[in-house]
Amino acid sequence: MRFRTKVLAPVARRLASALAVMTGAAAIAFAALQLVPGDPVQILLGQNNTASPEVRAQIRARFGLDESVPLQFLHYLDHLVHGDLGQSYQLQQPVSGLISAQLRPTAQLMAGAMTVAVVLAVSSALLTAGRRPVLRAAAGFCELVAVSAPSYWVGIVLLTVFSFQLHVFPVAGDQDFASLVLPSITLGLPIAGLLAQVLREAMEAALGQPFVLTARARGVGQTGVRLKHALRHAAIPLVTLTGWLAGSLLGGAVLVENIFGRPGIGALTLQAATNKDMPVVIALVLVSALFFVLISTVVDLLYLLIDPRLRTG
Amino acid sequence: MQLSRPARLTAWVLALATLTLTGCGSGKSSTVAANAKPVAGGSLTYAVNTEPTCFDAHISPQDITGEIDRNVLDSLVSEDSSGTFHPWLAASWTVSSDLQSYTFDLRKDVTFTDGTPFDAAAVKANFDSIAAPATRSQYASSLLGPYKGTTVVDQYTVRVDFSAPFAPFLQAAGTAYLGFYSPKALAAHSNNLCAGGAAAIGTGPFVFAGYTKGQSAVFTENPNYAWGPAGAAHSGPAYLSKLTFRFLPDSATRVGTLTSSQAQVIRSVPAEQVASLKRTPGVTVKELEQPGGAYNLWLNTTVAPLDDQRVREAIQRGIDIAADVKAVYFGVYPRAWSPLTPSTQGYDAALVNSWAYNPDLANRLLDEAGWTGRDAQGYRTKNGAVLSVEWPLLPAEYITDQRDVLGQAIQADLRKVGVRITRPQYDIGTYLQRAYGGKEGILDSSWSRDEPDVLWLFYNSASISAGGQNATFYKDATLDSLTAQGRATLDKTARDQSYGKVQQQVIDLATTVPIYNPVTIVGEQNSVHGLTFDPNDWAVFYGVWLS
Repeated sequence: MRFRTKVLAPVARRLASALAVMTGAAAIAFAALQLVPGDPVQILLGQNNTASPEVRAQIRARFGLDESVPLQFLHYLDHLVHGDLGQSYQLQQPVSGLISAQLRPTAQLMAGAMTVAVVLAVSSALLTAGRRPVLRAAAGFCELVAVSAPSYWVGIVLLTVFSFQLHVFPVAGDQDFASLVLPSITLGLPIAGLLAQVLREAMEAALGQPFVLTARARGVGQTGVRLKHALRHAAIPLVTLTGWLAGSLLGGAVLVENIFGRPGIGALTLQAATNKDMPVVIALVLVSALFFVLISTVVDLLYLLIDPRLRTG
Repeated sequence: MQLSRPARLTAWVLALATLTLTGCGSGKSSTVAANAKPVAGGSLTYAVNTEPTCFDAHISPQDITGEIDRNVLDSLVSEDSSGTFHPWLAASWTVSSDLQSYTFDLRKDVTFTDGTPFDAAAVKANFDSIAAPATRSQYASSLLGPYKGTTVVDQYTVRVDFSAPFAPFLQAAGTAYLGFYSPKALAAHSNNLCAGGAAAIGTGPFVFAGYTKGQSAVFTENPNYAWGPAGAAHSGPAYLSKLTFRFLPDSATRVGTLTSSQAQVIRSVPAEQVASLKRTPGVTVKELEQPGGAYNLWLNTTVAPLDDQRVREAIQRGIDIAADVKAVYFGVYPRAWSPLTPSTQGYDAALVNSWAYNPDLANRLLDEAGWTGRDAQGYRTKNGAVLSVEWPLLPAEYITDQRDVLGQAIQADLRKVGVRITRPQYDIGTYLQRAYGGKEGILDSSWSRDEPDVLWLFYNSASISAGGQNATFYKDATLDSLTAQGRATLDKTARDQSYGKVQQQVIDLATTVPIYNPVTIVGEQNSVHGLTFDPNDWAVFYGVWLS
C-alpha cells in the first residue's frame, strides 16, 4: 500500500503528463519550423544546385510539402499514431532507423559523462569540505577551470596528449570502451566542477549541524561522519542539480561528438535543425521530451531513497 | 586580478599543448624507393571533413558522395588530368557528327559484385533511372543534359541520344555520378541506395561493406576486379584489402590523426596548418588546384548601384585581392584572374595581370558615375543616397575556407574608395530565396567541376531561374551564343576560343570579380604509395599500396 501510493502513483501521473508534454512539444516544434523562413526543398538542395523545376516538384510531392500546413500536421500526427516517424528530407531514410542507430552512442556518452561528473564531484567534496583553506582554495580553483574551459578546447588538449602523443586512446569514434573515455571526460568535466562546488557548500553546512556533533559524540569517526551523515544530507541539492544538468547534456554532446568524430544524436540534431528537416526535428523533440520526463521521475524517486523523512506521513 | 588567474593558467596549458603538438612528430622516414614493387594487402584510413547526406551518386550532388562512390561504381570512360578520355567499361566509342548520338562498345568481361554481367541493358537501366523524374536526381540528371534516351543495339553495344548537340557528355560519363549500379540493386533498392552499405552494388575495385553514420564508411577489396581504366598503372584487383573513410569534421582532430598514424591520408588540411605539417617527418602534403569555377564574387547587374558598369568596375579594381588572399590563406591559395581556375580546360591565361588593383582608377570611375558626395563616415553619396551594396553572409555552418574573414578584408578595401558593403547574415532558407531571387547586390561561390561548361551555368541567360546559377542576372545575346557554342563542338581550339571570349567579356563587363583559386590540400603518410587524383581532385585508391 505504502509502496503503491508513494512510488507507483507519482510514476503513473508522470507517464500521463509525459504524453501531454510530448504532444505539446511536437505541436510547438512543428509550428516553430513553419515560422522559420525558407523553403525546405531549396534548403535541401543547397546553394550549388542545378536541379530542374520538375525535380523540385517531385521532391515536394514526395514529402507531402505541396499540401497545406494544417493538412501536413494532421498527416504527420496520423503517421505518428501508427508508429511511423516519417522520412528524413535531407537523408532520405526512415527517421526511426536514423534515431535508433544514433541513440546508443549518445546514451553511452551521456552516462559516461555523468559518471565522470558525479565521481569527481563527490570525491572532491568529500576530501575537501571543511578542510584547510589552502586545500579548499586549490580544489575551488580546479573546479573553476573545469567549469569555464570550453569543451572544444578541453577535447583538443585531451586528444593531443592522450591520443596523438601518448597513443593511449583512439580518436574515439564509437568502437569500444577506450573510445568512450576522452569524450566522457570532456563532456563531464564542467559538470563535475559545478556539482563539486554545490556539494561542498552543502556538506559544509551539514557538517555544522548539531547531528554531526551527536554522531561524533557516539564515537563515529571523521570519515564515517562524512560518508554516512553529511554526504547523505547534502545529496538532495546534488541530485536536483544532476537531473537538471543531465537534461542539458544533449546540447553539449553536439560539440563533443564533432571533435571526436563520434556518431550520435547531437550531430543529427544540429544537422536537422539547420536544414529544416521537419520529421527528424520533431522526432528528436519527442525523444528529448521523453528523456526529460524520465530524468525528473528518476530524480523524484531518488529523493525518496535518500531522505527517509519524505517516505513517512 | 582574481579572475585573470584561470585565464593565465589556460594560456600556459594551451601553450604547452601546442608545443607538444608541433614539437615532436613521430619520426618515421620512408626508405622505399620510388620504383619499388607494389605490395598487396593492408588497410588504409582516409579522414575527410564532410559526410554524405546521401550515398547514392545518381541522386546526391555532393562532392564527397562522388569521391566515395568512385570506389564502387565504374564509368564508361575515364578522363585523365590532361582532359584526354581513355577506355574503361567501354572499350571504344563513336560520336555522331552532330554530337547528338554517342555509341559505346562495351567490354564483355565485366561483372557486378552480385554476379550480374555488365552489358548494354545495364547502361540503359542506369541512365533511364537517372533521367526519370521519380528518381529526384539532384545532379546526375543535369549531367545527362538534353537526354533523349538509351538504345540497346546489341548485348554489348549501346547508343545514348540527345535532343540537342551535347559535347560535355564524355566528361560527364567519366564521373562517378554516371557510374553503374547493378540493375538488380537498382530495382530492389531504388529507395534506399541513399543509405549506402551493402545494397550499393557496382563493378568497382571495392565493395561497400558498411556504414556507421557520424563515424565511417568501410570498403573491402573486390577480388575479381580485372577492368581497371586504360592508363592506370595496373589492371587487376586493388592492392588494399580494406579502405575506411573516416568522417572527422574538426580540422585539428583530422591533422592529429595523420601525425599519430591513426589515418594514413587526410583531406582538407586548413591553410594555416600547411607549413607546420610540411615540417612533420614522415608526412607529405599535396596541394592540388581545383578545376572549375574559382571563388568568384558575382555582381547583380539588375540592382542599383551595380546596374552602372562604372560602379561594378570600381569594385573590381578597388579590392586589393592579391594582398587579401595572401593574408588570409598564408600564400597557399593563389589569387584568381578568371572565373575559371587555371587547371580547367579552356582557361584564358591572357587575363593574368590584366585588371590589377588600381584604387585611383576606382575613385575616378566612381567620380564619373556621379558618386561625388561624402557622408560623415566617408562613404560616397549621390543626391543624398549612400553608395551601399548588400553582400549577404551564408549561415556560419555553410561558411568554408574562412571566407567571412576574407570578406572583411574586401569590405575594408572598398571602404577606402568610399563604397559601403553591408553583410547581413540570414538563415539558409532566406539566403537562398533572396540571393537567387535577384534581391542581393553581391553573391559569392566557387564551383568544382573539370569542365568549362560551368560557364554556361554562370552566364547563359537560361540559367537565370530555379536551379539556375547565373547570379549576375545579366542577359546578353553574345554570352548566350558563346556559352552554347562551347556545348556544341568537340573541337578543342574552337571551344577554347569561345570560352576564352566568355571569360574576357565578363571581366570587361565587370559582372564578376574572381578572388582566389581553391586548392585541395591532402596530407599523406610516406608509407602510402600510388595515390592519384582524378580531374576533380578526388583521391583514387585503386592503385594505392602500403609499405
